[in-house]
Amino acid sequence: MKKLLQMENIERHYETPAGAVKALDGVTFEIMEGERVILLGPSGSGKTTLLNCLSALDSPTAGSYMFIDQVVPRNNSEQMTSFRRENIGYVFQFFNLLQDLTVLENILLIQELAGKKDPQRAKELLKLVGLEAEIDRFPGEISGGQQQRVAIARSIAKHPTLLLGDELTGNLDTETSNKVMEVLVSACKQEKITSVFVTHDEGLVRYATRVIRIDSGKIVSDKSLDNDLKE
Amino acid sequence: MSALLNIRLARSLWRSKIRLFAVVLMVFVGVFAGITFGGYSHNLGGMYDTMQADDNKGANLADLWVDNRSTTWSPDQVNTFCDALELAWISSTVKTSLDSCEGRTITQGTMFHSNDNGQQIINSLWHGIPADANADRVWLPSGNSEGRTAVAANEIVFDAHVIDALNLSLGDIVTIGAGNATADFTLVGIGYHPLHVLMAPEGTVFPPESGQYVVGYLSDTGMAHLTGNVLGTSNTIVLDIEGTPSYDFPNTQEYEGEEIDAIKELIHISLNSTELDARVRDRGQNEPVEVMRQDLEGTKRTTIPFTMMIASIAAITIVLSLQRLVQSQAKEIAVLRTLGVKRSSLMIGYIASPIVIGGIGCALGALFGPYGMNWMLDFYQTLVGVPIIIRTIPISVFLTVISSTMLIVFLSGAFPAWKASRLDPLLVLSGKNEMRVGSNLLRRLTSWMPTTLGLSIRSSVRKPVRLTMTFVAVGISLMLFGSIQMMSAGLQETFVGSLEDDQTWDAQVYIMPDAEGPVLDWADSNSAYYEMIIEMPLGSVTDSEDIDRIFTLVGLDLFKNGMRSISVVEGEVPTANELLIQVMMDEGSMKFLGWNVGEKHTVSINGVQQDVEIVGTSNAELARTMYFLRGDLSEILGVNATSIYLQLPEGIEVDSALGEVSTGVVKRQNLLDGINSLLDQQTKIFQAMMYLGLLFTIVVMFNTMIMNVAERDLELATLRVLGASTRSLGLMLLFENLLIGIIGGIIGVLFAYGGAVGLAASFSSWQFIVPVTIIPSVAWQLMFGVILIAVAMTPFGVWRLRHMDLIEKVKDISQ
Repeated sequence: MKKLLQMENIERHYETPAGAVKALDGVTFEIMEGERVILLGPSGSGKTTLLNCLSALDSPTAGSYMFIDQVVPRNNSEQMTSFRRENIGYVFQFFNLLQDLTVLENILLIQELAGKKDPQRAKELLKLVGLEAEIDRFPGEISGGQQQRVAIARSIAKHPTLLLGDELTGNLDTETSNKVMEVLVSACKQEKITSVFVTHDEGLVRYATRVIRIDSGKIVSDKSLDNDLKE
Repeated sequence: MSALLNIRLARSLWRSKIRLFAVVLMVFVGVFAGITFGGYSHNLGGMYDTMQADDNKGANLADLWVDNRSTTWSPDQVNTFCDALELAWISSTVKTSLDSCEGRTITQGTMFHSNDNGQQIINSLWHGIPADANADRVWLPSGNSEGRTAVAANEIVFDAHVIDALNLSLGDIVTIGAGNATADFTLVGIGYHPLHVLMAPEGTVFPPESGQYVVGYLSDTGMAHLTGNVLGTSNTIVLDIEGTPSYDFPNTQEYEGEEIDAIKELIHISLNSTELDARVRDRGQNEPVEVMRQDLEGTKRTTIPFTMMIASIAAITIVLSLQRLVQSQAKEIAVLRTLGVKRSSLMIGYIASPIVIGGIGCALGALFGPYGMNWMLDFYQTLVGVPIIIRTIPISVFLTVISSTMLIVFLSGAFPAWKASRLDPLLVLSGKNEMRVGSNLLRRLTSWMPTTLGLSIRSSVRKPVRLTMTFVAVGISLMLFGSIQMMSAGLQETFVGSLEDDQTWDAQVYIMPDAEGPVLDWADSNSAYYEMIIEMPLGSVTDSEDIDRIFTLVGLDLFKNGMRSISVVEGEVPTANELLIQVMMDEGSMKFLGWNVGEKHTVSINGVQQDVEIVGTSNAELARTMYFLRGDLSEILGVNATSIYLQLPEGIEVDSALGEVSTGVVKRQNLLDGINSLLDQQTKIFQAMMYLGLLFTIVVMFNTMIMNVAERDLELATLRVLGASTRSLGLMLLFENLLIGIIGGIIGVLFAYGGAVGLAASFSSWQFIVPVTIIPSVAWQLMFGVILIAVAMTPFGVWRLRHMDLIEKVKDISQ
């Protein structure tokens, strides 16, 4: 497997009235193409900050971050946006679909903004997530689980290299969560997309090929799951 | 508990400082405008009262004028008439008494004024006012005038309107003329006259540019000195009646003139018995007085709709902003409700906060309103040239404006809070209360478009009520701004256009009846072309409401290709030698009278009944006018000409020789400048409102745009996180703003046109018809303005996008 990204000694400090807070404190790891990584950790451990740095939503205070052997831009909003547009897919906890657009149009919009409009692929993706019958419905007309599946289709519609998700099943019940994760895993495999998800739900570990545990801004364990990798 | 809740609310509202300030600002603007216009309208009402008052401080405007400009009466004739009138009065049933019956000479003339450009011949009007005059005196308000009235034979008072333009001061010697005579007079006073608030020559409502028309007030001995007539010779008799008998207002449907008609009847009896020919006019028929009364009434009347419009815009903006401000509190209300806070405890703060917000705005508005009123009054005073001395704002104006504003503020603040407090906390906290289903109709309409454009359109109409209210507010704002522009443009095109395009004379020389010889000689010796005309405001007709309508008689030799071409909109021009005299009438008169081409009517010409056939209708004229062939009119009036149009060859100018043989000279360019200046003046009166309208358009659009962008923070943040560039999102916002701008612009033009039609209707009367034509350039200008304002809001959205803290937004999204 080829190396997709590498973070070395990443630090992210925040200044607060109570003093400096080290949200990330010397995080170092690599992610290979095709991996499905889950970041686990208690509240305030730094997992969301790490996800934000991975997606170039946030800029590390120190350390290096290479993505396919290229330095990831930092402290430049437009360059960071451009990096996300070209490389990153993102799934939110609350789906964040645009209410005024239909299911299909939500996907077409992202393709259009990325300059890769392809209605045929959008429909195929909806078929992949099992929503081919819902393409002309508005998000308000479908269930939460279905909305999250649309969000997954939307996030991979522009062929991202890396798919990120923050508590993406946090707003769903267990059964729906499992369905969503199954769809996600299947989509990632089919589209050959590497993924990193933040969660506190240990139950989702079975969908990952690797689990990184974080606490107090440091990686406390990094474990590949052999049986999953065999898949 | 409540105190803490209120502190929380105050802090929470303070976080939305800009919106909070915007609401306070709109409340302030609403109250400020209400008090400014309310006070302005109230004080305008008394504007002429002090001037026209029959007391020591006023000038005592006469109630009736009996005059004949083509002859003069000896002092004996005047005394005989006054005696006859008194006698007739005593034996009549008229209850009021006659205060005074006084003879005067009022004559056209010229002023020979020298300045850096050499000697100017200025068209003028001279009054001979006896020192002991009772009515139509010179008004010398303390602190706003200088000097005293003219007493000696070589003294003159000048009207304050012309002093600055002519750079005159007390003690200056001025040379003036009337007919063939000239004389020097010493300036002893600078004052006003109730007949000359409108500084326009008789027969026109367009005042020439300042200094191009002079009115001076001599003593009776001074007038005798100037004209060479016997002291007491008169061409006007002014009558003052106890109190002010009601007379008909020509611009109303009702007839209010019964009281004065009985007196007029006595005057006609007395004129007959003394064998005098004269025209009898009351205040409603005295054009300069009536025009200014209507102007004042129009100005007062328009302040009401203008105030209402401003109030509506302010109300709409307050409602939208305050609702949004309180609605943004929905989550906090839900949290507090979840924590077990009682609805009633919560509501206290939400009832109190609009009162506090409104109270601050109202206090500021009430504080600055009087300054606004004084500014408007000063402005009007400068334009009209008459001081507005008494200025007060009734408490009722303050109470009405503040109470209505507070009611709007209270309802628009407390109602959404009450609604929010009734929401299910679970729904609010889960965000489900914000879930909605898009419109299928919109989907169908926009599905063929690029998705970004479709989203722009759908987002724009997401809140149809708010959008409609925005458009209504923009429409009203543009009604304020555009209707005045449209009306002015219509007036400009009709009147200036016709004078510029249809008339080719350079100077109009006024003469005494049958005194055209010397002017024609002057024209011949200077190789100038000439054309004689008759122009007199001596026609009258009784309309279907039994009201006497006075119109101008114009006699021309040529209706086409002459120096004054008449544009015929229907029918033909009159032809000579017909059994029944053929005439043409202006469009406005035809509409008012309900006449049609081809009809025969009887009109009164200088008091004589005359049958005429209407053969054509001329294009819109400001003054009501009946056109004759000059030969026909000359036969009726017994006058060859009242003025002569001259086309001057290159290098020939109006000189003192021409001035001396005329009773006044008007240059066409001066007339054009005067009309332009009057139209500018009229526009300026409303300019404050116009710019207020423009300001409101900007505020309303900006308010809506801010709300649109602010409400879509989450949506825009999502797109940013998903990689949408600022440029592509900026383009989306631009589309939206463009769409709102185009629709707002179209609505604005429609509102402006409607407003212009309404304004024109409110200003139009028999004397003054205001045409409204849609000038495409004005419509485009309005549309372009709104689009520009809308598009100019895009950078704000882009700025917001650029400064969006995506990490915080992602946190919001995740929560």
